[in-house]
Amino acid sequence: MKDDAHTVLECHDVGVTYGDVVALSDVSVSFIRGRIHAVVGQNGAGKTTFARVIAGLVKPASGRVEIEGRAVPTGNVNEARRAGVELVHQSFALPPSFTVAEAMQFGATDGGVYSRKQLETRWQKHLDALDIKVSAGQRIRDLPVETQQSVEIARALVTEARLLILDEPTAVLSPEGAQKLFERVRHLKDIGVTVILILHKIREVLSVADTVTVLRGGRLVEGPIESDGIDAAKLAELIIGPATRALDEDDRAALTGAAIPVHHTQATATDAQSPVLKMNAVSTRSDPEGPPLNAIDLTIHQGEIVGVAGVEGNGQRTLVRAISALADVSSGDIQIDGKDVTTAPMKMRRLSGLRVIPFERNVEGLSLSSALWQNWSIRSLLQKSLVSAIQPTQLRRDCATALDSWDVHYDNVAQHAGSLSGGNAQKVILSREMDEGARLILAAQPTRGLDIGATAFVWDSLRRAKSRGCGILFISSDLDEIMDVCDRIVVMLSGHVAGTFEPPYDLTEIGAAMTGVGQ
Amino acid sequence: MSERIVAIVRALVFIVIALALCGIIFSIAGYSATQMFEAIIEGAFLRNGALTQSLRWGLPLFITAVGVAISFRAGYFNIGAQGQFYMGAICAAFAAEWLNGLPPLIVIPICFLAGMTGGALWSLWPGILRLRSGADEVITTLMGNFLASLVLIYVTSGPLKDPSGSGQQASSRPLDAAYRISTSYGLSPTIITIALLVFVSMWLLVNRSAFGVLSGLAGRNPTMVTWQGARLMNIGLASFVVSGALAGLAGTIELMGPNGRLASGFLPTHGFTAILIALVANMSITGTAIVAFFFGGLSSAALYLPIIAGLPSSAIEIINAAIALFITAKSGFVDRVLRLGRRGTWTTR
Repeated sequence: MKDDAHTVLECHDVGVTYGDVVALSDVSVSFIRGRIHAVVGQNGAGKTTFARVIAGLVKPASGRVEIEGRAVPTGNVNEARRAGVELVHQSFALPPSFTVAEAMQFGATDGGVYSRKQLETRWQKHLDALDIKVSAGQRIRDLPVETQQSVEIARALVTEARLLILDEPTAVLSPEGAQKLFERVRHLKDIGVTVILILHKIREVLSVADTVTVLRGGRLVEGPIESDGIDAAKLAELIIGPATRALDEDDRAALTGAAIPVHHTQATATDAQSPVLKMNAVSTRSDPEGPPLNAIDLTIHQGEIVGVAGVEGNGQRTLVRAISALADVSSGDIQIDGKDVTTAPMKMRRLSGLRVIPFERNVEGLSLSSALWQNWSIRSLLQKSLVSAIQPTQLRRDCATALDSWDVHYDNVAQHAGSLSGGNAQKVILSREMDEGARLILAAQPTRGLDIGATAFVWDSLRRAKSRGCGILFISSDLDEIMDVCDRIVVMLSGHVAGTFEPPYDLTEIGAAMTGVGQ
Repeated sequence: MSERIVAIVRALVFIVIALALCGIIFSIAGYSATQMFEAIIEGAFLRNGALTQSLRWGLPLFITAVGVAISFRAGYFNIGAQGQFYMGAICAAFAAEWLNGLPPLIVIPICFLAGMTGGALWSLWPGILRLRSGADEVITTLMGNFLASLVLIYVTSGPLKDPSGSGQQASSRPLDAAYRISTSYGLSPTIITIALLVFVSMWLLVNRSAFGVLSGLAGRNPTMVTWQGARLMNIGLASFVVSGALAGLAGTIELMGPNGRLASGFLPTHGFTAILIALVANMSITGTAIVAFFFGGLSSAALYLPIIAGLPSSAIEIINAAIALFITAKSGFVDRVLRLGRRGTWTTR
């Protein structure tokens, strides 16, 4: 293992800080050539930062990086690429209007003048060699997510990459898509490329990786460990750490992706209970933020959590926007708590008990450069007329009380929302949107980017709201959490409901519905 | 709290740097920097009557600047204060012309109403264009400034032309003395009262009303406010209208107070100085009052520059421009000097 001849990457005491936040500290690790290495950890563990250091995108404050025994200047993408390191990002970076061939050429290091045809023949060969089934003349924006990712990988391999890093590649894929990706990764290993996979689901790690390395809180916990020599439970222990708290067995599994998830609680919904949301054949006009809805029927009862599964970009945003009066409904009707709100503005819908935890907490949920108390009090202020008088002192006090009861860590309510950590920022939103008056809660990706403690907190909060009688729509791209938390799952595919599932859930069936192969 | 201190320190640093830069430039150009500073301090504060003159210039600037601040806070870069100021003065002048002969107690309030409405309407159309169809308000309000200047030229050389005018500068017939709210000296209890009313009402609007909090949030993150269910239309149009009405009010004051008549191209930099004031004050109402007094001082000192330092009085414009340069370039340099740039505070959209 210490044999330099076989070591492709070696990191010595790498440390990275962003402002006051320590993202990585003293990480020393080395990886052997020609294998598949997984790097795991919860959100905020430093996985992505680690990947970015190796790829030269982040300059570490301390430490050094050696590739194939040669020290590489840190913080320089070109040096890292020259040394054979390529990184495929979590969010894709291909220009949507380019053809596949153009995108490939964009990644190549050689210049020159080519005709479109020459380019396409040139790169078609490359794609075929990698067994990627796509025509080089197609535009990126017309490709499904899985293929886009394959093209990203192909582009990363345009140069003689010896070390390929994939950052959370399965986050955007259906379970089936993930399996295909893993086959591709094994193929890469066969042709001699070392692959580092940043992952966060244990069963994915165990199914594909040769070794696993665990990060927690920016520190190396253990690794690389041979994945044959470790089981899911032990790995979950390493990832979560000593602060395991009183985490329920199922929740634990769902948080770490250790096992195929089962449903956590008994379904409490019965048809006798009145629906808090009823959508009858709702369609929308084309929406700037996603595909339009196509005749959606959806009912959420009191005390029920309904999950929306689906590959991102299949109308989940439009669904939330339609219920919130942000997207134009063209036909069908929407009822909240028995009242028809199809044409009502959001203000009225909120009065009926609609609450929204938006997708992007830093853009749609909070104004980062405004004070906490302003962010918190906007919901009540919007129910008043613009010229009505307010008492900031009272609002600040109310805000402090609410934030304290939600266990938000903050200095004072006048501080900017942007100074809070992700978990705390989300708690501010929860405290605003999960008040006494809430009847229907739209929770859109409420745990995205949160660490395990904060994720469990969000789940608990939703379950508490459910037991109070709220109806909850839970949208997530993480199937494990949906299966664990939700009483019923609907799968969305290109703007319509492709299937409804009740527990016990079958991962394969849901996965098939997500990609539309089950039909 | 500390944020407020930071804002004050920052504003001071900008002004000091700008003044120092001007001092250097004028020294290179062969003038005496010490004499320049002497002229400014004397003319703004120390000379007999200097403080009154600083107020005379500062109060109308303050009123316009408060309007600018309200618009900027809501996220609309309404730079049309100059045009709205002119339109206010023009509408008030028409009202005074038509009602000429009626008792002042009737004429003066109607003139004020007309002036504020004129300014508000001149700000409303860019607001509607922006909120209905997304037309950039920077472009439309800037065009509005040019249009208003042309209307002013037309009015002073057409409908309201003073037949006995010298012809040097087109202007309207002087207002009847009974309708004036101050002498040409420019400061009167009426003007001070109006400015105080503006201060109190606008302070309440910004700090003690739902509009104040909501427009502040909308200015920093309109997406979030939309997701909360706010109608940006209402908040936005209200901001445009209030800001235009205040500029129109300032125009009316200048017409019925110190100027006493409309003159083509009068006070051509009023609206732009007001923008500068709002920016230096970081959109705070109290801050705007203080900064407006300072800029009023600079305007007052302009008279002394030729006398004491041998500089043309338009040198003040160069000082203003230097301050503008640093204020608008505020991201980065000074923040880093003040070690405030720990984390980005503005949302990136």
